[in-house]
Amino acid sequence: MNDATVVRAVDARKSYDGTVALDGVSLDVHEGEVFGLIGPNGAGKTTLVRALTGTADAEGTLELFGDAAGDSDRSRIGLLPQEFGPPERLTARELVAYYGGLYDESLPVDDVLADVGLADDADTWYENLSGGQKRRVCVATALVNDPDVLFLDEPTTGIDPAGRRALWGLLDSLADSGVTVFLTSHSMEEVERLADRVGLLRDGELVAVGTPAELVAEHGGPARFVVAGPDVEAGADPLRDAGFAVEVGTDELVLGDVTPAELGDAVTALADASVGYESLTWTEPTLEDVYLRLTGETFEGTFTPGASAVGAAADGVAGDSDSAPAAEVER
Amino acid sequence: MSRAGRIRAETAAAARSFLRRRTAVIFTFFFPLLLVLIFGVLVRTQPGGGGLFARPDAYYLPGYLATVVLFTPLSRIGSEIARHRDGHRFEKLATTPLTRAEWLLAHTLVNVGVIGVASLLVFGLVTLVTGADIPVSGDLLLLVPFVALAVVLFCGIGAVLGRVSDSQDGVIAASNSVALPLLFLSDTFVSPDLLPDWFLPAVNLSPLTYFSRGVRAVTFAAPDGAGLAGVGAVGNLAILAVLSVVCFAVGAAAVPRGE
Repeated sequence: MNDATVVRAVDARKSYDGTVALDGVSLDVHEGEVFGLIGPNGAGKTTLVRALTGTADAEGTLELFGDAAGDSDRSRIGLLPQEFGPPERLTARELVAYYGGLYDESLPVDDVLADVGLADDADTWYENLSGGQKRRVCVATALVNDPDVLFLDEPTTGIDPAGRRALWGLLDSLADSGVTVFLTSHSMEEVERLADRVGLLRDGELVAVGTPAELVAEHGGPARFVVAGPDVEAGADPLRDAGFAVEVGTDELVLGDVTPAELGDAVTALADASVGYESLTWTEPTLEDVYLRLTGETFEGTFTPGASAVGAAADGVAGDSDSAPAAEVER
Repeated sequence: MSRAGRIRAETAAAARSFLRRRTAVIFTFFFPLLLVLIFGVLVRTQPGGGGLFARPDAYYLPGYLATVVLFTPLSRIGSEIARHRDGHRFEKLATTPLTRAEWLLAHTLVNVGVIGVASLLVFGLVTLVTGADIPVSGDLLLLVPFVALAVVLFCGIGAVLGRVSDSQDGVIAASNSVALPLLFLSDTFVSPDLLPDWFLPAVNLSPLTYFSRGVRAVTFAAPDGAGLAGVGAVGNLAILAVLSVVCFAVGAAAVPRGE
């Protein structure tokens, strides 16, 4: 990655029938950088991709390689639209060859198909491929012109875990070779795994930009240490006496803002007080926590132990979905 | 390669895509053949000799050919645009070097090929089944540019219909609404003497009129010998060429770009 700016948006604005889709978005993406864009449905991610690729008008400055987005050198752009549906009755090979044929120079079709893991299904009609295979063909059509900047709008939707990881590896190698990747996704794992920097869109506004680590540090909230067991409530006071902030939940204690170095002290405090437990879980905040905190999204309608958990999430202190059940706060 | 390569790639994909939709292929050829069989074989002239289909069979050849050069491009290009829009294909194409005019040209070339074959079938069927007396001469070669230019013209109009319609159903409805009046009010099956005088200027406004009159000038010798080839054919061909260029340009501008 170097400092040359490939993608630039300055005060980008767009409205559809009075609904604000982009509200003053400004960002720079540099050569060889993987930029991940996250945000809820309808936040404006696809609109921003369209504005940056010149396929939709928007107010403000939108540039690729220093040229206005619609006037940039198209042979340098690769695009995978979000709901892309190419001609159904062409084979994977024919589709990739077709899109490659639209450029003066393109990569060998078989190489591209192999890169996306479709070498064995190259002669199958698109309509007869599985959902994940179809998406891989679509990715291949975005790669075939050997682009310098790649816009991928939810590229791994429908792709199985193995295929997804293979694609991640491919994107890694593309970025290493200097290709700039602009990626939208609903998979925090994907963005955290791939992106050098992440931007979070909410209601058309870019509310946070930074490396995954920066975003987690700034917006992810504290790490949590959860002590679970039927009699752990007795450990609350000893832990507080040892200097920990403790929340008491149903059959669990939640210690906030605990560093790994302090874990031993917490366990010692419990042992000294003869408090037994069934499990100890230390959870670092993740990008998903950042997402939930900044978007205010909740998991209403899904099972969440403890009625207060939903309320807590709505207040912007949602727990990590991968972590132990959210605790009822009792202070 | 550049432009030629892009057009070749788009044409090849469009042709394969069409030829693999068997239902579409069958009905593209079946529809005009059905018309020939119904109107050329089954429908009988009134005893008094008046009304529809009262003229010699060769008189109606332009009408049968008009059916294929009119309906197929309108519905095919319009539907193709709707399909492209549904699949966000224009959004992707907008980031490739392919231009709108190149896209329309590629799909027009496919239509010229398909409709050229269909026209040949219609021509053969009209000649064989109805016994139409068509003068054989080198002038018949003028049918090639007539068919090609008419296809170009209606592909352009089809692109406009595809642009203004918001779905494939809408395209079909719109193309039928445009094609049916044109088919019967363009000096094809209904001769001008069957229409009221006040309406005749409107016949001249239809681009299909110049196709049917030109084709008739090549393929139909009136009893008095008038109307065979000559300036009639070339003049109508020239008008058709101008209209084709205009309609293609308008159609190319109407092809969606992005979302």
